[in-house]
Amino acid sequence: MVVKTNQGNPVTKAVFSFCSWLFLDLMLNYPLKEDGIVMHEEFRKKIVQMVYDSRDGHIPSAFSIIDMVAILYEDFLKFNANDPQWEGRDYFFLSKGHGCLGLYVVLNKHGFISDEELKGFCTSGGILGEHPDSTLVAGVEACTGSLGHGLPIAVGMALGLKIRTKSNNVYVLIGDGECHEGTIWEAAHVARNLQLGNLCVIVDWNKSGAQLMPMDDLPAKWEAFGWNTIVIDGHSKQEIMAALGQAKTSKTDRPMAIIANTVKGKGVAMLEGHGRWHHRIPTEEELHQIMEALS
Amino acid sequence: MANSVRKQFAQTMLEVGQQDPHLVVLLGDISHFALQPFAQACPGRFYNVGICEPTIVGMAAGLAKAGFHVVVHTIAPFLIERSFEQIKLDFCYQKLGGNLITVGSAFDYGNLGCTHHCYNDAALIKTLPGAQCVYPSSAVEFDVLFRQTYNNDQLTVFRLPAYEHECRFDRQTIQFGRGIKVSEGENMTIVVTGPQLKNTLDAREALADMGWDVEIIYIHTLIPLDVKLIRESVKKTRQVLTLEEHVFSGGLGADVLNAVKDIANVQVSSLCIPNEFIRDYGSYQDHCQRLGLSKEGIIQRVKNEFKLFHRQNT
Repeated sequence: MVVKTNQGNPVTKAVFSFCSWLFLDLMLNYPLKEDGIVMHEEFRKKIVQMVYDSRDGHIPSAFSIIDMVAILYEDFLKFNANDPQWEGRDYFFLSKGHGCLGLYVVLNKHGFISDEELKGFCTSGGILGEHPDSTLVAGVEACTGSLGHGLPIAVGMALGLKIRTKSNNVYVLIGDGECHEGTIWEAAHVARNLQLGNLCVIVDWNKSGAQLMPMDDLPAKWEAFGWNTIVIDGHSKQEIMAALGQAKTSKTDRPMAIIANTVKGKGVAMLEGHGRWHHRIPTEEELHQIMEALS
Repeated sequence: MANSVRKQFAQTMLEVGQQDPHLVVLLGDISHFALQPFAQACPGRFYNVGICEPTIVGMAAGLAKAGFHVVVHTIAPFLIERSFEQIKLDFCYQKLGGNLITVGSAFDYGNLGCTHHCYNDAALIKTLPGAQCVYPSSAVEFDVLFRQTYNNDQLTVFRLPAYEHECRFDRQTIQFGRGIKVSEGENMTIVVTGPQLKNTLDAREALADMGWDVEIIYIHTLIPLDVKLIRESVKKTRQVLTLEEHVFSGGLGADVLNAVKDIANVQVSSLCIPNEFIRDYGSYQDHCQRLGLSKEGIIQRVKNEFKLFHRQNT
């Protein structure tokens, strides 16, 4: 994990001290796989099955975020599936809406979405489409899909919580391609100026954006906008936990950007990288191959 | 009279903001000084965010989701046209309430050219289910209509004109969604919105000398439109002229035409901004004169397109 920071004050030292403790704790409690990568195989299998059954969906985009989304819900977010609008909850905005399969399976695990609703993915009468819809799905905080919308909404939410002096945290997951959108940088500028220390952006840096705009130094950009910026491996449980831990306990007035190095399609070799699998539906033979790779 | 509606906007924010702790105002670098009384009276609820309109609208949706009644205020083309997708998705589709308060609609910023003109704003908003649009062209209208709607969980656009129509309405006559019958008449209906009410009243006097008995229906709420009041009048006069500082498509003219299409033997005409870019410079008044949005223009249109007759002859 590479940490870049704009701070050098006692608060920073305290945060780093906490992170060091957290890192050690994680080493003891979360045994690594041999390659150091945490794999949420069951989530990934569900995602593939949903795409295969519905004949629609973005598998690689979901695979690049699933580890971060899973850990965020498992260990950091405050929520109540029985009362999705609970005012004490933390807020998670999936600004990169086309990664929604990664959110759906996690919401399913935590009781927001039923198995039956999951099976209705992209079917008439179902509530789950290829982009998340907050008017239909409990636990989804915003309708996203048109890139560049989730972060400004989250900035407004973070500002609202600040006005009310509430301690809820606001997390937003955006894509690196989404960082081509002007509203991302408008919102980044505004959030820093409004001193929204309760806001954490996770950038899914799977290098999609670099295919079109190769000058892709996202950490330098977020740092230049005045955000506390951390670069992590977005498939490493330890690094995800440490970064989210820092975001949660941060007492500064700077928002935090976690730039997560990820791999599109992570977890199944044939899906990884850029190209035809972005929106491809597996054949029956490919389905078996993918499921076997995940077993 | 110039700018009194905008001054009332600042005063209403101050008064409502002191009563309602959920009112938050976001500016796109306009009216900053005018709103300082609100800023000082309501600390922590006033933000001159910057020059980033789509983000301000998205932020406003987030604040609405957090339980606030949000006002976003800046220049019409940047708030309605540039930020249209945010209005559509972040507010209307998600069923969040908010208030978009514009200045500089139509050609109010006459000398600033196409970048600062906006004469299709109501048409755009009309395509969004659940959205509301009002055009309060006197100070009291803004004050009453804002208080009636700002917290009704709908997206409402307030189109503030640069000039008032100078007609005085009692507060109790102003009701969101209801037109106002300004004058009774027998053989001609003029349905008018915005500051053009002033020219309409002036034209009515001149037309009366020529034998026309004009009924004036004033519309401050463009969406939803008071179709009932308009139909009642047109059923009586069978002749209707619409008048607006907006293009025909999606404007008051198109809506009135649609509203009366099943009434037999009705003559309809629209005096509005033509569907082409305005490439001239000049003051607001210069643009009005050139486009026929004037007392003389109204008289000419009535004489050219309508027949003078008395109701008992129909």
